[in-house]
Amino acid sequence: MSSVRRIAREEWRLWLRSKVVVAAALIVAVLIAVTSILTANRIANEQAQRVEQQVAAEQTFFAQPDRHPHRMVHYGHYAFRPPPPLAVFEPGVDAVTGQSIFLEGHRQNTAMFADTKAAADLGGFAALTPASLYQLFLPLLLIVLGHALFLRERESGTLAVILAQGLPGTKLALGKAAALLAVIAMFMLPLIAVAAYSVTLGERMLAAFSLVGGYFVYLCAWGAIVLAASVLLTQRAVSLGVLIFVWLFAALIVPRFAINASSAAVDAPGKIESDLIMLAEQRKLGDGHNAADPAFMQLQAEVLEQYDVETIEELPINWRGVVAAYSEAELTDLLNSYAEERMRLEASQSRIFGLFGLLSPTIAVSSASRAIAGTDLATHHRFLRESEALRFGFVQALNEKHAAELDYAIDMNRNADEAARLRARVNASAWQVLDEFRFAPDGADERLGRAGGSLGILLAWLLAAGGIVLVAARRVRL
Amino acid sequence: MFASLAREARFLAKDRGALFWLILAFFLSCAAVSFGIAEVREQRETIAALIEEDAADRANALETQEDWGGAAYYAFHLTYAPPSDFAFAAMGQRDSSPWKHRVRMLALEGQIHEADTRNADFGLVGRFDFAFLAASVAPLLLILLLYDLRASERTARRHDLLVATAGSPFSMWLPRALVRVTALALLLLIPLWIGAAVEGTSMVISVTASGIMIGALLLWWLIVELVSRIDASASVLLTSLIGLWLALAIVMPAVSKAGIEAANPVPDGGEILLLQRETVNDAWDLPKAATMKPFVAEHPELADHAEIEEGFEWKWYYAFQQVGDQTAAPLVSEYRAARIARDRQAGLAALLSPTSLVERAFERLADTDALSMIGYEDRVRRYHAKLRAFYYPLMFLEQPYDADVLKKLPDYDANG
Repeated sequence: MSSVRRIAREEWRLWLRSKVVVAAALIVAVLIAVTSILTANRIANEQAQRVEQQVAAEQTFFAQPDRHPHRMVHYGHYAFRPPPPLAVFEPGVDAVTGQSIFLEGHRQNTAMFADTKAAADLGGFAALTPASLYQLFLPLLLIVLGHALFLRERESGTLAVILAQGLPGTKLALGKAAALLAVIAMFMLPLIAVAAYSVTLGERMLAAFSLVGGYFVYLCAWGAIVLAASVLLTQRAVSLGVLIFVWLFAALIVPRFAINASSAAVDAPGKIESDLIMLAEQRKLGDGHNAADPAFMQLQAEVLEQYDVETIEELPINWRGVVAAYSEAELTDLLNSYAEERMRLEASQSRIFGLFGLLSPTIAVSSASRAIAGTDLATHHRFLRESEALRFGFVQALNEKHAAELDYAIDMNRNADEAARLRARVNASAWQVLDEFRFAPDGADERLGRAGGSLGILLAWLLAAGGIVLVAARRVRL
Repeated sequence: MFASLAREARFLAKDRGALFWLILAFFLSCAAVSFGIAEVREQRETIAALIEEDAADRANALETQEDWGGAAYYAFHLTYAPPSDFAFAAMGQRDSSPWKHRVRMLALEGQIHEADTRNADFGLVGRFDFAFLAASVAPLLLILLLYDLRASERTARRHDLLVATAGSPFSMWLPRALVRVTALALLLLIPLWIGAAVEGTSMVISVTASGIMIGALLLWWLIVELVSRIDASASVLLTSLIGLWLALAIVMPAVSKAGIEAANPVPDGGEILLLQRETVNDAWDLPKAATMKPFVAEHPELADHAEIEEGFEWKWYYAFQQVGDQTAAPLVSEYRAARIARDRQAGLAALLSPTSLVERAFERLADTDALSMIGYEDRVRRYHAKLRAFYYPLMFLEQPYDADVLKKLPDYDANG
């Protein structure tokens, strides 16, 4: 065992003597530190701000004066998505999706005001996050450090001596791997610190631990790839070139190819396109504002029979409120079926994208990291579903108030004059029907389950690259 | 000179490493261009289909209307920004800003910020388009082609002999590097030119784009040339060059972006909507005059017809929709001005990063930069204003409803 340690220590001694290596490591370390602090700060602000906005939106809703209940349906409400604790490391899709939704009757709005729309445009990958540093920069650092790890001995002629002394190639490779592992372990420290910080913000240990584990496996897989190249190739310039190519391929080319490929494979129509088809169907459902719409004739017959009366005027409840609730329910079914279909298509696009992890460990780690952090597409979809449930909940509760607490005759007469308008109101206490909404991502188990496939792919990368190192090191000859 | 170029070309043909990078460049360029053309075609098809469905839907909606107010309420109008004939090379902001809307005569601020959502994962990673290839990947390929020209000869112990026999070091390294840079530029540009021919891109744009890319490659060549004069091993040179690339292509843009965005805060977009909605909602409870007064201030020509007598009148309804827009207008122009300021400063900051500069220049040529997207929003605003100008006289002067008049509804002009 001591020979492995001696080889590793020798490697570290050489690294520390090389200005290039030390400079590169320092720069990456500083970048990680600065980005982590800036991102943590920004996310903490956003978190506080959005929770405040959510509370403020609820209070404004409750504070509305006596009104016609349908007015409150259109007055609407907001749902905000505060970033989850691990967003301090991996902000994920938040910047692209927008984080608030306006909720109102008869409509499902999209999330609005994504940061990217007003962002300063500096091209390709302008935003740096701690996660993107770990995904893109650290593999490069490992390449710089490790491309000549093994072949250095070959170049300088020491390999012959070492082998002749009876040290097997595998042991030599193990020593080199230990040296690289120590580098990886060192660079895991900032991530561990960020993960620990997220636990103090309320993240579950399991998720924080898995995120650290996922990145550890990712970096080890890169370490193994680097080591494999340095065992198999005999010139350091060639080894470096090949590794840079692998990085270019895995980090820059495949992810963007995968985007193009998955959007070509599954055609997910935009909202305008599906809304157009939906509008035609919606017209058949009838307009809930117009209780005389022929679409509601059957409903009318049923309700009249249920209450055993002849005309809607005789009903003990307000017919207009009944129609509003009925048509909202019908419409929501329709809206949801389209929304679900759109989300299903998007999810299958993302699944295809995730499969490209087989070609690039960077895709696998970024998918896993977004899923574990709760900043992935699935979490965004969950936010859309939950805010829709909130919307439907308060709109229907208001429609019930409309039916139960506002007399039909007074309601029909509401536009006659000012006094009639004032009579057609319900007491503001009715606005308490709004549910409190605090968005929280899925539990840690569920997020981990979603990340399972990508984590499996990462592990496969590690095993494959490690296996190649092992086989190549065993066969190492002069 | 020609003889030495021919000689270097023969050397290049035997250098398997260099050939690999060149073939890769050609393959990537073909892929970027064909992905781009496919995407642009799909967007055009989407727009063409939407135009038809939009017209049919409007006709369907108008069929059952009995008054101007109802017609304006139920008739949506498609607005869109078609991709330019060079958009295939740089999709730019089309991926993050909406380029199609369906608007109606309600308050515009409630409609124009709707983003027609795309898969969020896509916006996060970005697309592999030619601009990205030319700005970010091509310099890396150039580095990989050039970094060991000298160092490899040093390793082979031929360096000093070659320099001594070549007369001047200039006539030795220049042709060798020139052949590689030219080959790389051509292999990247040929697919672009084919794409431009297929898409019917104007000659001026193709030539400008080629010039920009060649200029950037020359700049990177200069950087490589300066760095590789350092007497160090090939791997140290390559490491330093990759470090420079990271600094110029990733770190510098990220730092500038963060700085610019901190220096130019945009108003919270949500505030715009909140203000507009509050105004529209409050109007229901306010005396009618509170709406009609600020409305008439904008439309003095309608002053004599702005008396609201009944509990609900369409002209009052549309007046408070407009007053909602009017109230939000200062915030909206602040938001717009901040976006423009950010973009202008990003343009300056891009001078520090050749990758940002190339990508922005391509987006400018392709009309997919931030200003073009703001230009599209301005077109939507102008069209919406035309809709109001069409309906207001009909509603306020209480013209009898006539479905035939609606045939003269203003058309959206995508280039106007």
